[in-house]
Amino acid sequence: MREAPELLERARELTGRRLKQVRLITDTTEFMNLEPGDVLELQGRRYVLKGSEYEGRFGLDEQPKYWVKRALDWEDGTPKIIKLVFYEEFDMSLGEITVRCYRSPSKEGRILALVKGNPNFMQGITLRDAADNQVRVLDRIHGGPLDQHLQELECDHREYYERHLRRVLSKLLVAFEAIAWLHNQGERHGDVRRDHLFVDRDSGAWSWIDFDYNFEFRQNPYGLDLFGLGNVLAYAVARRDVTHHVVREHYPQAEDALAPDDFSPVIRNRVMNLKKVYPYLPESLNNVLLHFSRGAGVFYERVEEMMAELTPAIAELPQGEA
Amino acid sequence: MPIWNRILATVDEHDSSMQAVRYLAGVLGGSDACRVRIMAVYQAPEPDAHPQQEQRAAAAAQRKQLLLERLEAARQVLVGARIPAYNVSTQLQESGGRTIAETIMAAQRQGGFGTIVVGRRGLSKAEEFLFGSVSNSIVHNATDCAVWVIS
Repeated sequence: MREAPELLERARELTGRRLKQVRLITDTTEFMNLEPGDVLELQGRRYVLKGSEYEGRFGLDEQPKYWVKRALDWEDGTPKIIKLVFYEEFDMSLGEITVRCYRSPSKEGRILALVKGNPNFMQGITLRDAADNQVRVLDRIHGGPLDQHLQELECDHREYYERHLRRVLSKLLVAFEAIAWLHNQGERHGDVRRDHLFVDRDSGAWSWIDFDYNFEFRQNPYGLDLFGLGNVLAYAVARRDVTHHVVREHYPQAEDALAPDDFSPVIRNRVMNLKKVYPYLPESLNNVLLHFSRGAGVFYERVEEMMAELTPAIAELPQGEA
Repeated sequence: MPIWNRILATVDEHDSSMQAVRYLAGVLGGSDACRVRIMAVYQAPEPDAHPQQEQRAAAAAQRKQLLLERLEAARQVLVGARIPAYNVSTQLQESGGRTIAETIMAAQRQGGFGTIVVGRRGLSKAEEFLFGSVSNSIVHNATDCAVWVIS
């Protein structure tokens, strides 16, 4: 790292801040020491840092992700997300199950190269810093996560079902197909969640983001991705997570009908048999959801199996708005 | 065409697989009518989970050693039940990117085994959903052989 006074003017211009100094960083290993205004130089390309990203899903628990930086391209000022190399290994709790999880920069770099030009995935490149760290430089998507997109539709569930659900699930089907394609390339997403599916306001594309988690799943390599897809599907159908508590509060007439087999086998308070809550849902769509319930005799092992049943189920939904 | 008395018994790191081998020994003990192949499936540690070469090699060696010990323990159980040693063989099979069940089924077809013997771990619904079940997968996919699932 070195101070470079000649950079100051351009960094001020890009960030709009009254920076007092600018450092040119070529080794990002100590990412905790990076500050807004620092300029990263990676394989001849430069990016000025604006700050760290935050884990945005959990409200008050928001924590800065020091290895993920908001940045601007030095040449044209386009916004970028820069993910620095951060290895971690931890236990992830899914209901009562604990899964060993790894953060892998090389996996994300590999997938970025694989999905180059594919609008169903975030776009970016991997650049090496002076210490050979694999730094991922990502295009910022102009939009928000799926849940935010769906919440912007101001209507009750019945109206959502009649006017929007067919369009929403048709878009979702394309996103699911993208995950199936990824699996067929021998890769897993690793962290399928509704807030990892972004809706681009400019292009209308629904793009998966964040591919750096991985797991060692010996028998069912795509099980965790499928679990995530089931949760995303249930969320999109209900436009909320339907838990036992939600049913009691908002749909008390359905509570008595719920049985243990109606819930997720993993997240034990999450209702997957949504027809008991929204009786107007067609059987065919609900049958797909039931494959993600405790009562399922056979679970999906491949995304294609789910898509084969979801596609005709979508065709049965009200036409709604284009 | 699979031959009924060629048996493929599988072992892994779980006790349920040894339970299956003990059951097999109880059924076949003292007989020389069957040939038994005991197989363990080795899946290499993923580079993403073990980015350092030395770390990965150590994990691989540890995993292989465990499976080799299991194979030998299973062989001794069968031979100890008076199944002739020349009728019992062991095999450590690399999965080569396939699932464990796919690897077992490929070995069954290739070796013409008429019977597969597997243990069942008694997974919860959640575990089965996330991790999958080797025995379930074999039962669903086996078409030309008998499958003994030992709980």
